[in-house]
Amino acid sequence: MLPAAALSAPRNERFEALKQRFGVGRPAVVPTLDRALPTGIDELDAALGGGLPLGSIVTFEGRGTAGRWGIAASVLAQVTQRGLGAVIDDGHLYPPSLEEAGVRLDRLLVVPATTPVRIARAVDVLLRSRVARVVIMGATLLRAAVWTRLATLAHRAGVVLIVIATRAAVELSSVAGLRLDCAFERAFLRGTRGVWASFCGFALRAEVRKHKIAQRGGACISLRSHLHATASP
Amino acid sequence: MHFAPVASSCYGFAVNGKRVLLCLRIPDYPLAVALAGTSSGGDAPLLIADRFDRGRVIALDERARKHGARAGQTVTQAAAAAPTARVAVHDPVRSRAVWNEVLDLLDGVTPLIDDVREGVAFLDMRGIDGTPERWRNQIHTLVQHLDLPVLTGAGPNRFCAYAASWIADGTIIAPGEEVKRLTPLPLDVLDLDPRAQERLHLLGVATLGELARLPHGPFVRRFGREAAVWHEWARGIDRTPFIPRSHAVTIEASMYGEGSAESEEAVVFAIRVLLSRICSDLERCGRRASALELEVELDNGRTQTMEILLAAATANDRDMLDVVRAKLEGVTFDAPLCGLRLRALRLEEGGEMLALVRNDDIDPQNVAVVLARLEALLGEPVRRARTRAAHPSEERFSYEPFTLGKLKTTYSPLVVDDRHDDRSVVPQMRLLDVVEVDVTVTRGEPAAINGERIVQCAGPWRIEEGWFGPAISRDEYDVVLEDGSVRRIYRQGSRWYVRGTYD
Repeated sequence: MLPAAALSAPRNERFEALKQRFGVGRPAVVPTLDRALPTGIDELDAALGGGLPLGSIVTFEGRGTAGRWGIAASVLAQVTQRGLGAVIDDGHLYPPSLEEAGVRLDRLLVVPATTPVRIARAVDVLLRSRVARVVIMGATLLRAAVWTRLATLAHRAGVVLIVIATRAAVELSSVAGLRLDCAFERAFLRGTRGVWASFCGFALRAEVRKHKIAQRGGACISLRSHLHATASP
Repeated sequence: MHFAPVASSCYGFAVNGKRVLLCLRIPDYPLAVALAGTSSGGDAPLLIADRFDRGRVIALDERARKHGARAGQTVTQAAAAAPTARVAVHDPVRSRAVWNEVLDLLDGVTPLIDDVREGVAFLDMRGIDGTPERWRNQIHTLVQHLDLPVLTGAGPNRFCAYAASWIADGTIIAPGEEVKRLTPLPLDVLDLDPRAQERLHLLGVATLGELARLPHGPFVRRFGREAAVWHEWARGIDRTPFIPRSHAVTIEASMYGEGSAESEEAVVFAIRVLLSRICSDLERCGRRASALELEVELDNGRTQTMEILLAAATANDRDMLDVVRAKLEGVTFDAPLCGLRLRALRLEEGGEMLALVRNDDIDPQNVAVVLARLEALLGEPVRRARTRAAHPSEERFSYEPFTLGKLKTTYSPLVVDDRHDDRSVVPQMRLLDVVEVDVTVTRGEPAAINGERIVQCAGPWRIEEGWFGPAISRDEYDVVLEDGSVRRIYRQGSRWYVRGTYD
């Protein structure tokens, strides 16, 4: 009996040749965007062609501790230096962390909404009015027609709607202009252990799953988070 | 209360063309208000406390002082010193009302009155016909019915006028005489805090003259920046500006008895008419309104009042109408409207705020409309977060309604926020609903949560609070689980809970 590796070798070669022929696996060439909202993270901005595409829905996806809110906070920090930002709060927001990321809390509209209908209506009002350059919301169950409507409004208003999700549903992923997949790699603890240690950040990997401007995803970057001061007392 | 005889006036300085300030002072104002209207304080000493329970003495009469009671003591201490004393609780509302009445009466003497505090006011008499003696008599006649021990003094600046009222009622300090007249006065005139006054006494300084003779530099270095002001006052120099009090203005417009309105267009038309009236009144007064109060009278006899925040003070009726319309989007009335009353609230001085150079892309009017629309939609206002110092995570922030009043929109190119220039992702804690979890502890450290292995652990950090409120006593940990999620957990007693997660 031949070993399994020997059997699969020619198939792998043929598969690699096909991948090379069609350019799969090569990082996508992202053109520099004319209308981009910088995230404040240089590596990510470079990978995205300058930042998040203005006037589109952007999803930050990932499971558990994936740095999605960390990236969103960085975007908010950029926006609130000059204008207003808005967050749809489902009751889980922790403003001290946002402040630590550089967000000006006096310029952040915290909109309390929990039900899908209210969230959709609140986002609708915010997008139409253009008061905030970025609106952040958690993923919620909305019909495809609603997502399409929000995408149209975001496009007209030139506002970035960031949706934080574990995995974007089909209705959302089809209208999203950019999908960023975030994954946790490892945590950094300062100090030795126990009471002498404190959580100070984590390494994460962000992959562009979809980029409408670049036509396809593929850009993959590693980011490292850093807590300026320990969140514990 | 001791009334000094009217001092012989020295009218040697020219009144016309020079600023003459008159000081009206009511010594021990809370006590004076408590005694006003009563024929006498009775035989018993009188103590005025700030509150009934665990209060402190804020004023006391001469008899209580002779018994050894002092202002600042607790009521228990003062009552021990003067066992026969009566204790009255200060009524701040009545006190303010009486003082407002005094100020309104003083409007009959001069329109420029600087309301320093309850019991002390300055009157700018420049250009007012008469002599200081006549003005003094006029003041006494006006406030006579209030039965308050009023003292007056005149001088070329605020402090001199104030000090003149300490010398005797009706005293005038003429320009050029400041040092001579102030020299014998005690340090009490400066209203120093007791500690500073005691330090000065230890240095042998008891009068303003002795204070004025101290070398300026060493004195300021030893007593701090405020000592420079005391030193100037002691030499008869006062640079404090005179700030005239503003008069309360009520601007409102109403529409009643003109039939009832059922359609939205009719209501909006009526509101537009009222707003144009209000805005013309605002412009006439040179004011702007930060809020509106809308009172609606329904056909079934009910009334409904709502306060509409404008976020940015304005006197523009179109801006106001946008916000009022947005606010009314979420309101339904169970009967036709038969009356409307609109009142401008929180009036501010000046015209529309326009910045010459703007660094922001915030349109206050647009934001105000969105805030009103979202409030109508959600049933609660849009919020602004504020952080504060506390140990438990859930107490480190609070929310308040979002208003544009606090928004700093001034262009400041020199102010650069460089605290966050390292461009890394800052982990964000997300508060979770507190749920009890099953934690396995190994060698004193949490090892697994609900069967899921903990790979890294930091903590515990002890949090103990609640001297007066509900007690909080817990140990918090940050743990990294096998699946890569980082959690904030805590142990309270023998139970474990998840507080938040990092993302």
